[in-house]
This record gives sequence, structure tokens and C-alpha cells, in this order.
Amino acid sequence: MKTLITIAWRNIWRHPARSGVLIAAVVVGLWAGVVTVGTVNGLMQQRIDYLIDSEIAHAQIHHPEFLAEGYSWLNIPDHEEILNWLDEDARVTAWSARTMTDGMLQSPVKTSGVRIRGIDTDRETRTTDFHENMVEGEYLDSGIRNAVIVGKSLAQDHNLRIGNRIVLVFEDTGNELSSASFNIVGFFESASTEFDERNVFVRSEDFTRYLADELVVHEIAFRVAELEMVPAVVADVNATFSGIEAQTWREISPELNVLVELGGVMLYVITLIIMLALAFGILNTMLMALFERMREIGMLLSIGMSKLRVFSMILLESVILTLSGALTGFLLAWGSILYLTGSGINLERFAAGIAELGWDHIIFPIISPPEYVGILILVIVITLLASVYPALKAIRINPLEAAKDS
Amino acid sequence: MALVRTEKLSKVYNPDTVPVHALRDVSITIEPGEFTSIVGPSGSGKTTLLNMIGGLDKPSSGKVFINGTDLTGMKDSKLIDFRLQNIGFVFQHYNLIPVFTARENVSFIMLLQKRDKKEMLRRADELLESVGLGDRKDARPKEMSGGQQQRVAVARALASEPKFILADEPTANLDSTAAMNLLDIMLRMNKEQNVTFVFSTHDQRVIDRARRVITMVDGAVDSDERRDGTNESGDSTGKGNSTGTGTSTGTGTGNGNGNAQKS
Repeated sequence: MKTLITIAWRNIWRHPARSGVLIAAVVVGLWAGVVTVGTVNGLMQQRIDYLIDSEIAHAQIHHPEFLAEGYSWLNIPDHEEILNWLDEDARVTAWSARTMTDGMLQSPVKTSGVRIRGIDTDRETRTTDFHENMVEGEYLDSGIRNAVIVGKSLAQDHNLRIGNRIVLVFEDTGNELSSASFNIVGFFESASTEFDERNVFVRSEDFTRYLADELVVHEIAFRVAELEMVPAVVADVNATFSGIEAQTWREISPELNVLVELGGVMLYVITLIIMLALAFGILNTMLMALFERMREIGMLLSIGMSKLRVFSMILLESVILTLSGALTGFLLAWGSILYLTGSGINLERFAAGIAELGWDHIIFPIISPPEYVGILILVIVITLLASVYPALKAIRINPLEAAKDS
Repeated sequence: MALVRTEKLSKVYNPDTVPVHALRDVSITIEPGEFTSIVGPSGSGKTTLLNMIGGLDKPSSGKVFINGTDLTGMKDSKLIDFRLQNIGFVFQHYNLIPVFTARENVSFIMLLQKRDKKEMLRRADELLESVGLGDRKDARPKEMSGGQQQRVAVARALASEPKFILADEPTANLDSTAAMNLLDIMLRMNKEQNVTFVFSTHDQRVIDRARRVITMVDGAVDSDERRDGTNESGDSTGKGNSTGTGTSTGTGTGNGNGNAQKS
């Protein structure tokens, strides 16, 4: 084996330029692949983290029809009991009860459809970090009566300034149209422009005065100590209480579910595409090397080198050639990701467009050791597949080639 | 037992389209220790005969025996191993492994035989010394002249301790000095170590020094002449279309006691 590796290694460097080009292609391909996979991973993880931390939390409880219908009378029955249960469950670390309905925002300029979210600022701050999205003015914890915060983009759309008043129109729990004026105290800017244009936040206590006779809760968002606990806690809530539906973050947000599913597949899709392109380079290089060495391989078979050894020699050449490039590529990618994990990839130039899609414009690539191993295995498998054909051709060479004139 | 024996060996290329009779009923015998050249014009079948004897090509009919073992029905994988253990090859174009040094080229075949590494290197050095390349052990083929490369090829062929060495036009690419040098080495090994050489050649200087000359014409043995002092010339009894019954009846003592026949 040692001799086969030696001969394979020296054969690779018989044509330094040709092998160098292929190795360079593998280095660049693998580097680009790993960094791309890392970037996509990072993008997805940030989106998941953002949605969980900023809005959804780990799980939510609603009236079974609320998410589909959105009416204010579809509130959670006996929400106090549920909140007490959550308080007593050691797995639950925080919860926030929200009062919300769909309605209209009227300004002197125009009218827009929005979801009005009534929150308890203290509870909300412990459950999500939405308050960190404030870019101007104050959060809802100011003393101003009927305070409202709106998305920066919605504010621009309506030409609103802090201190302006807007009118929110909605249906109360009695199915009557109701309206109230609110004072703009601040603007927020989340990662999603769409979210900013469709949501306004008020205090639950202010909102409840216009919506119902007593505090109604439409959504309870809660966090648990470990992400793995979420399904069990949700199942327990559903088993304990009737007339409600508790859902995990993956069930609530189909987008997140797709992202999680995609995250696992993307790694292999990207690597596979890059490696398939490289496989043709490997195939081409090995076939060229083979055609140049017909006489030599004929000689090896003549003097008694077994076909298995010749086959292994060609496979080894391909694998060593590709692995030299792949390991260098990995090393470069590892360095790049290490650097980018600190500084992030700043796509500020495209921030507006990216925000439209709900993504953050600074991306921190992530790639785990098992993913490196997965990519490496894929590289080896595809390389072996690409070199089987030249290796098979090699063992079919007639030993008489050794005696040919040219 | 004859070292090499062919029985009515025939080879027809393209039998279904335009048949080319490369060999016609060739029957020869080569004894251990012979120094035999197979000569003839281009297309006479000498290389084809060599390939058959070396187990590199299969005959259309007839048989090849090496030390009594019939090669004709042997599977490819067994043939490869048989060649490794029994036959040494020297090619016209040297065919050394370009990425190996002279020493590695000579050792390589012993490595395939799974010999002890120390013994392998010792023998490689010894062989390179014996072909006059003791000081070129670490040179790669491109750093050596054609003559030197061919001497490495001879050392490589000898390394596996084969029963005999087949050399196809070994001097064809060499200048006259290198050719004579190589021939001297081969003759010395034949005399001193009783190494059997069978080679094809066009080179008259080589033919002049061979102790047995088998002449091929149109795929058949035209004459089989022994030139050793104790040898006598045989008569030519046939041409290319003969039935190929001619056999060498040399006694195989290494210096070719025997008569020669033309067939």
C-alpha cells in the first residue's frame, strides 16, 4: 500500500501544472462550498433565533380557531389557570400573555390593515427581546396614555412622527366596531419589513379597555429552559387544558419548519453541486493521465502487477489529488468562517432588499464539525465514483500496449 | 523438460473480416541457458511469437508451455502472477516507471513479489552494479541515457529471478556503443549466471553475437540455427507455409548443445 501511495503521489506531480490546476479548482470549490453552506446555515439559524427570540418564543397557546380567523372574541378561555400552570412548571422560564386582533390604522394620509398587539411590557421583555428593535422614541413602558409603537417603514408610509396620533379601528369581543386614538411614542425596525408594515404594539391594559369588559388574552407565548423540552411541555399543556391549542415554534411558523428542514439538506445540495462539477474535472484529468500512460500501465500489467493493484493505484491518485485540494480548501474555509464568525458578513448594501425577505443583513456563518465530516465523506465518495471509470479503463489496457511503438 | 515449448502455435488477427496470419503453426523449443534471437523482417511474426511465449497474447490455436505449464488456457489473473514469478521482460522503449529512481524501478518487481525489503534493496543495488549503474541508483529515467535506461530495464527483468527473459528489440532505440554494451551485459549474464534470454531483433550486430538464431518469415519459422562451437547448422526444410513441425532438439546445457533445423 505504501508503494502504491508513493507511486500515486509521484504520478500526481508528473504534470505539476495540470495537477495544480485541478487541486486549485478543488480548493476554491470546497472553500466556496463550505463558506456558502456556513453562510446559509448562519442565515437560517439567525432567522430561527430571531423569530424565536423576538416574536414567537418557544411555544404559543391560542383558541383553536384564532390563528385562522383572527377575531377578538376567539380568546383563550380561563387564561389565568393556564398562566398559573406555566408559573408552576419548572421547565417554563418565561411567558407573555398578548391581547390582539386585526384592525385598521388610520392616519391623515391613509389607512392600512394591521395586527394590533397588546402586550404586558414587563412580561414581554422577559419572554422576547422585541424591545431591542426600537430605533427611535421610547418603548411602551413610558407613562404616556394609549401609547403605540409602529414599524419604521409603516411610519414612513404614513408620514408619521413621534408624538403624532393615529386611530386604530377594530372589532371588539362583542362583535362591535370600535376605535380609539393612540399616541405614537416610538418606532421599531425588525429584520422583516413586512412585519414592520403590518404590526403595531400597544399596552394590553390600554387595548383591553376598548376591546372587552375584562382582560382577554388571545396568545400566550412562553419559553422553556431547553429547546428539546418544547414538544413535551406543549403536549402537557394540551393534555391539561381544553378549549385551547398549544403549538411548538415549528408548528406555529411553517417558515421556520421549512428552514430547519432545509438547513439539513442544503449542506449536501451545495456540496453535491460543487463536487459534481469537480467530478468532471477529476474524470478529465485522470483520463488524460491514463491515455498518456497506456504503455506504462501495459508494462505494469506485463511484468506482473495485478489488476487490483492497478485499479487501486488509479483510485489512490484521484483520492490523493482531490484530498490535497479538499483539505486545503477546508483549512481555508475553516479560517474564513472563524474570521467571519467574529465580524460577520456585512450585506449592508443590500440591507433593504434582505429586510424585505425578513433576513438580517449581517450574517454570521456557522458550520459544525459533523458537517465538515459530512462534506469530506461526500467529497471522497464522489471522487471515488469519478475515478472508477478511469480505473476500470486502466485494468482493461492490453499488456501489449507496452510493446507498441507509440 | 524444455523451458519453453510451443506446439503448432497460430495467431490470426481479424479472422472474420480480413484475416492476417501473424503466426502459422510455429513449434519451437527453448532450453534453459540459451541465448536465442528471433529475427525476421517486419511483420514476420517475431514480436507476436514473443508475446505468446510471454503470456501477453493468446494464440488462435496451438499451445505454449513454460516449464511444462500450459499458458493457453490460463485465466488473466493467473497469467499475471505467472509472468511475475517466471518471466522477465525488456521492452524496446525501456518502459521504466518515470517517477521512480533506477533503484526503485528495479526493486518494484520484487515488491510485487512481496520480498523482504532489505533483501530487495540489496539485490537491486547488486543488479545495478552488475549492469554498470552502481553510481546511478538514485537517477530517474529522464536523467539517464537510453542505454542506461535499457540496462536498468535488464536489471529489473532479472530482479524477479525469472526462468527466462524476453526482450523485444532491446537495442532498437540505442546507438551502437550502447547496443554493444547492453549485449555484452546480457551475454555475460547468460554465461556467468546461466540466464536464458530470448529476444527479437533486427540488429545485425546483435544477430551476429546470438548463439541461436530463429528466423521468421511470414509467421512461420524459416530457419533455426545454432552457432555455438558444438552446434551444427540444420537444413531448411520448409518455408512460411510449412506445417511447422520443426523443433529445436538442443540438450539445454546452457551453451546450446544441439542441432538446428529449419522448418
